[in-house]
Amino acid sequence: MYKNHLNPIHCIIPPYMLSKLIESGNKKVADMAVNSKFRSYRFLSDRNFFRAASFYEKTILGAVPKKPAKSTMQMEVYDCRQTTDLTNATLLWDTKNKQRFNSIAGKNVIKGGKASWDFYRDLFGRNSIDNNGLLIKQYVHYDKGMDNAYWDGRRMVYGDGDGVVFTSFTSDIDVIGHELTHGVTENEANLDYENQTGALNESFSDIFGIMIKQRYNNQDVKKSNWLIGEKVLIGINYALRSLKAPGTGYRNHPELGDDPQPAIMDNYQDMPNTESGDWGGVHINSGIPNFAFYVSAFNIGGYSWEKTGRIWYAVLTDSNLAHDAKFVDVKNMTIQHAERLFGINSLEVKAVKQGWLEAKV
Amino acid sequence: MKIKLIRTGGFIPITKMAEVEVNFTDKELVRLIEVIKPDPSAQRIKDGNYYQLNVGTSSTPVDLEKVPEEYNELFSKLKNSMKIVK
Repeated sequence: MYKNHLNPIHCIIPPYMLSKLIESGNKKVADMAVNSKFRSYRFLSDRNFFRAASFYEKTILGAVPKKPAKSTMQMEVYDCRQTTDLTNATLLWDTKNKQRFNSIAGKNVIKGGKASWDFYRDLFGRNSIDNNGLLIKQYVHYDKGMDNAYWDGRRMVYGDGDGVVFTSFTSDIDVIGHELTHGVTENEANLDYENQTGALNESFSDIFGIMIKQRYNNQDVKKSNWLIGEKVLIGINYALRSLKAPGTGYRNHPELGDDPQPAIMDNYQDMPNTESGDWGGVHINSGIPNFAFYVSAFNIGGYSWEKTGRIWYAVLTDSNLAHDAKFVDVKNMTIQHAERLFGINSLEVKAVKQGWLEAKV
Repeated sequence: MKIKLIRTGGFIPITKMAEVEVNFTDKELVRLIEVIKPDPSAQRIKDGNYYQLNVGTSSTPVDLEKVPEEYNELFSKLKNSMKIVK
């Protein structure tokens, strides 16, 4: 039947025009017009029937749409065997076969990847990084003693750390959640990776990373220490970053010195938009929106992901969030979404406003 | 001549560095730098590390994945001996 739709006469011509075509005197045109009119009446009749039919009747006729396939996590974990060769990395584990293996880093990324995937699916109905079931690829034991983890646009890659200052970058769930969230951001607003916008990109990763850890550990805003990478950076008093008090992740560290993150806009650091300038301080100035989130979440109370996380996720996935958004744009959007979700005069709106006020944005 | 390899960027942006004495000719150095030049259109890797090679007062970004086989050992040694710049 769809074949007829190839003929324009069968598609969108109103009935009065069809009547005129039938009376046109051209046999070929008249044939098509009658045919079209006949199908239109049948279509209307079918539609009326299905509107009135019971679910059982529709089932018998095969007219019940199939339920969309249930979203299930797809993940592969590869071992780079301390090389930088990602193409020839060995498959350690995948969700289909669930192979046995001994790598702790491999086990860490399965745990962290699953916690992140569950977080996005359970709370926001998101189906993986791209919301379309993307296969999550994680690569462990990258390079010799590499003290880093990154998202390269397709996959997450983790080093083992040098064993002196840093341990494996798979040791903290928040770091894994941070990397996975870079993928989410890339599939949503795709925030530029430079200056204030890059700092927002980093901040979204830290914020969702910490919430993923808090949820995994069942910690509310008071119980959490709000530290990112507290195991990755060796030493009981050290962490890579603090959302509660940016600039205090590490202090007087024998190798790293002091955590350079500012918490407030007055201390924003203008850095060169170059590789060595951290693309305008994206990992430095992220402390400011991180702090705004922390204050908002703490004032709202309870579990951060339940209300504050909903607000920030609504912003992250809002099509109005521009690829070059600035702090003030995210400030305004978090307030707007808090008003929409919880009411204009709600405690949540006041808390979000207070968060940005304390960060001096 | 002395060449210095500098690494920047990363999850927390730290600078690491190592240097070594090499007996490259000027011509060889120019050719090497040309070969290991990073692709300018490459996407910015989130939390990625970046490398640069310093010779004297000049500095040039490099992509270590492009290092020719005959220089692999040299660059591996350099990379493995990098220390955090305090």
